[in-house]
Amino acid sequence: MMRRIQPYLFVLPVTLLAGVLIYYAIGFTAWASLTDWNGLTEMNFIGLGNYVELYRDPLFWTALRNTLMFLVATIAIQAGLGLLIAVIAKERLRGSNFFKAIFFLPIAMAPAIIATVFKYMLEANYGSVNEALRGLGIIEQSTVIQWLGADLGVWSIIMINVFQWMGFSMMIYYAALMSIPQDLYEAAEIDGAGWWRRLRSITIPSLRGTTSVLVILGIVGALKTFDIVWLTTGGGPGGSTHFLSTLLYEERSNRQAGYSSAIGMVILVIAFVLAMVQIRLANRDGSQR
Amino acid sequence: MSSRTSVGAKVAMYAVLIFLAALWLFPIGLAVYKSVQVGGWSNYNVVLNSDTFNYWQAIGNSFLMAGASSILIIIASSLAGFAFSKLKFRGRKLLYALLLGCLAVPVAAVVTPLFFSVNSVGLRDSYIGVIIPLAAFNSLMMLLIMKNHFDSVPDEILEAASLDGAGLYRTFVKIMLPLSGPTLATVGTLSFVYSWNEFLLPNLLLRSAEKFPVTQAISLLQFDRMSLEQISQLYAGLILMTIPSLIVYLVAQRYLQAGVTAGAVKS
Repeated sequence: MMRRIQPYLFVLPVTLLAGVLIYYAIGFTAWASLTDWNGLTEMNFIGLGNYVELYRDPLFWTALRNTLMFLVATIAIQAGLGLLIAVIAKERLRGSNFFKAIFFLPIAMAPAIIATVFKYMLEANYGSVNEALRGLGIIEQSTVIQWLGADLGVWSIIMINVFQWMGFSMMIYYAALMSIPQDLYEAAEIDGAGWWRRLRSITIPSLRGTTSVLVILGIVGALKTFDIVWLTTGGGPGGSTHFLSTLLYEERSNRQAGYSSAIGMVILVIAFVLAMVQIRLANRDGSQR
Repeated sequence: MSSRTSVGAKVAMYAVLIFLAALWLFPIGLAVYKSVQVGGWSNYNVVLNSDTFNYWQAIGNSFLMAGASSILIIIASSLAGFAFSKLKFRGRKLLYALLLGCLAVPVAAVVTPLFFSVNSVGLRDSYIGVIIPLAAFNSLMMLLIMKNHFDSVPDEILEAASLDGAGLYRTFVKIMLPLSGPTLATVGTLSFVYSWNEFLLPNLLLRSAEKFPVTQAISLLQFDRMSLEQISQLYAGLILMTIPSLIVYLVAQRYLQAGVTAGAVKS
């Protein structure tokens, strides 16, 4: 009898801690998104009212566009730079561990701190970036680039994220590169394949699975992104740099708990759908090889 | 391979590395420079003796919350990782799939119910009210890492232990855990860093400044109209608050790297 129950006792803590809490939160969000709840008083069922309102809300579409733009740009830039550095590091140049350590360092640092440093660096009038550009004569003394404004804000946030997380892609590509059998390269070299040819025919195809994992983690990471937006632009000016997560948070503090839950459901659905599509694609690639 | 790399290629590679490293070091170097630009090194003293911002309290709060949630995560994920990997029981696959399905659920999507439930059980503005959700949201990645680790431990070890008549709990504590040192260190380091860096949960659930972890305490150093000296002091505070992360990085960089790759390579 004990033998039969015991395994359940082993999985009980994580099930209670994570499973119950997270599923409860998802269920609650789904239900609240169908009500006019303000977070304090009672909840009245209003059907899909919040979703209709969401559909008509230009801020929602801005936030969705910013989130998706961020998702695509950060995944592409981080994978590209990460792969570049990993390929160079694999050549075992002197000092390559030192360089790897520099790029990996921001992962240990709090995004809240990094975001705050960037916020002051990118400040339009006295920020160091504009001052440096003026000092180098790249822009006029009187020019004020609004790095955290409506046009560039999302790109600045993308840049901050690349600073924070590029080392992650680098490290994962590096680990994957080290697991490619060395004799593949030796055989190719005997056949007269040059460095570029070896990169294209051996390295990149072998990394398909790794890239796929990075894309999934990038999707999850993008939907989670909150602090670097909240602490730099705060979604402003005029909501132009909101992400889904920050718009939700702001609506929640405006006592729109039902409405913000509908945004939460959109985030959950995007996470689920994109992850499914990616896993499907990855499996198809795998079976073709 | 490196012996065949031409000098020209090497120069090009170094050029790329140095250029990128300069970009990465720029914000860090700048923050250090800015922290002493107006007011000099005494800015650090000012921050350490500020009335509105208590450095040691913020560090202590972060340490407490990240430490406690990491301990919860280590216990929960190692127990479950062992069971999902090595024990047979009804519903095992389904439960594991249901749990890992939550891996992609962002905290941001469910802040409303989190706030409401933590508030309704009276844990708002308490350490424990932050520690539990922190552990919950970080434990699933660690479960994945632990299970993958136990998958690599041969079943024969378990069979030998059960022939000796050792109970499951004893087998776990006396045989499985001692085989898992590096993985436990990896899970511990990663959980600690992720919890330490968390901004949204404490922002949502804490109100009193004396409970703020470092990610919240930053706000205590910022004001509406800041003088250049106050901005320098803010930078000094940010650097001081990064020191514990740097120490963790230097001491446990190996485990952090292992954790990052362990969570990604197999899924």
